[in-house]
Amino acid sequence: MEFITSLLSQVIIYTTVYTLASLGIVIAGRTGIFNVSGEGVMLASASAGFIVAFLSGSSLLGFLAGAAMGAILGFILIFIHETFKINQFILGISLVILGSGLSDLLYKLSMGVRLSAPIAPATTSVNIPFLENVPILSAIFDQDLVVYFMYAATIAAWWFFYRTKIGLETRAIGENPRAADVVGVNVIRRRYLATIIGSALIGVAGAYLPIVIIETYSPEISAGRGFMAIGIAIFASWKPQRAIIGGFLFATIEVISFQLQIASQAIPFQFFLMLPFISVLVIMVALKKYVEFPASVGKPYSRE
Amino acid sequence: MPDNDTQRFSAGLRVLAVYAISIASAFALILAVIALMGYDVVRAFLTLVTTSFRSAFGFQETIKKTIPLIFTTYAFTIPFMIKFFNIGGWGQMIAGGTFGAVIGLTLAPLGLPAIVMVPLVLMFGAAGGALFAWVAGYLKADHEINPIISTIMLNFVAFYLLNFVATAPPFKDPTAGHPITIPLPGSATLGFLAGIPVSIFFALGSIAFVYVLFKHTRLGYEITSVGQNMNAAQTYGINFRRTIMVTFLLGGALAGLGGALEIMNIHGKLIEGFAKTSGAQFGIFGILTSLVVAGNPAGVPVAAFLMSVLLVGADSLQRTMQIPVEMVFVSQAVIVLLIVIFRTRLLGRSA
Repeated sequence: MEFITSLLSQVIIYTTVYTLASLGIVIAGRTGIFNVSGEGVMLASASAGFIVAFLSGSSLLGFLAGAAMGAILGFILIFIHETFKINQFILGISLVILGSGLSDLLYKLSMGVRLSAPIAPATTSVNIPFLENVPILSAIFDQDLVVYFMYAATIAAWWFFYRTKIGLETRAIGENPRAADVVGVNVIRRRYLATIIGSALIGVAGAYLPIVIIETYSPEISAGRGFMAIGIAIFASWKPQRAIIGGFLFATIEVISFQLQIASQAIPFQFFLMLPFISVLVIMVALKKYVEFPASVGKPYSRE
Repeated sequence: MPDNDTQRFSAGLRVLAVYAISIASAFALILAVIALMGYDVVRAFLTLVTTSFRSAFGFQETIKKTIPLIFTTYAFTIPFMIKFFNIGGWGQMIAGGTFGAVIGLTLAPLGLPAIVMVPLVLMFGAAGGALFAWVAGYLKADHEINPIISTIMLNFVAFYLLNFVATAPPFKDPTAGHPITIPLPGSATLGFLAGIPVSIFFALGSIAFVYVLFKHTRLGYEITSVGQNMNAAQTYGINFRRTIMVTFLLGGALAGLGGALEIMNIHGKLIEGFAKTSGAQFGIFGILTSLVVAGNPAGVPVAAFLMSVLLVGADSLQRTMQIPVEMVFVSQAVIVLLIVIFRTRLLGRSA
């Protein structure tokens, strides 16, 4: 029981990364912006978040710095896209490259070369009374602040898109921006907001890696998770409530491959490390019939 | 001068202007940041642009980077001609190096001559790259899976495959701490001419191949017309599915060939990180290089050379002035963004 609880606790931690990152992609996607820059945002935010957390001694400030870095990159993406109508994928890929260079650059400039790896300040965990003592459930409810933020962000995004009028309007932009524009929705402003908020969430996911999971920064720390989050957003049909399920699924695959890698002697560990990446493709093929896309996602919109 | 020529001339001038403005503003930006960081701007600028031309060594280093960069730039460029993103150049290059190394090391005890070994290793390298790209092409053509995702996932698969080959018997170098294999037999390696890797001839060969493909063959014409108008091309009987597969296979095979050439010519063995330079993957620089020339295959060799000049300059900046090499990597991404913006703005065409 203890083992299962600790395993589940680990899964929840990785779920936080995948869910926040894919939620960020889902939110922008609902307004028609296909944000593929997640990997770059996560890397740059991991670096900025870790530096701020380490230098200030506050993990909370680190998460905020990660969010701010994400918001800045999100702003760059949407500003260039809306102003110059440049292909979203080209922009996204350029930002991935920019973000990955920026991450190591920021780290080298502000931390320099150190003999021992700097360790992130501890995060305080938030316990829900009673639930924290129940086996298994305690894995879900004895976690740090960001885990609760992830639960809250998922619920808030679902509630916004499916239970409010303004959310319905916003979803309409992703389906048909011209129609939304005609009925008076400010398409451009919503796209700015969605992309910036979405990227900030991806930034929190990025900062979570060095501050909570690895407890120090290392180059290429996001290791493809920013791209796997795109896969999750797609097979979640761009729905927040499914993004958390997809996030949980991938977290489970990642934690299990890690456990198998330790346990198995016969199969070389590299093949277990490939497993999460292959799973993305297998699951996308398996679920392709059930996947829906916002009709305008990835396409530029101009009023003329 | 007939009207047509005048128009072409002024269009050419505008293209030049786009590049001049983008590069000038990007350099201004980089140098401003370098100045803010407290470094000597003039010296940094001169180091960045002249290191390649000040010594034979600098020039040789530049060519060493240009060769693999040409291959990974084509790997992105060819599928990009039909508007698909092959972000898998680095995985395909790794797969090429790994497949090439496996065949070269497996056949080593037979003592085959170079005339057999070199083509075999190259073929396996090209096949390895093509195989990884084939998966992405197939997933797009038959399952509508975005190649941005599939190629990235496959990059990691290729990375762990290399790691496995280079850390497990029988190929692992038992004395090395880093993932690295025992050396390839001499018959599976290539030499240098005046400090220039012999693989340059294969790079020149692939430039000629791509040129002929797009200028003089029906297949090249099909790819170009699908890129210009997908629906019309389908109406005229071009098999879209086949075009996807062909562009991915070509791109992957070229990246794989580039990977095999790297291990045969530069390293003499398979080594983790062989597909990297100046702090990032050749595959990533290939994407940037391709975007600089708007995915036009004709511009690839020159752009790859100029990109390598900057990379050699960046290495030197790090060595002599302690400016992190990532500074130039970030700047290149900014240059590409600026070029894309100015090109859309001044020429009214995207990508």
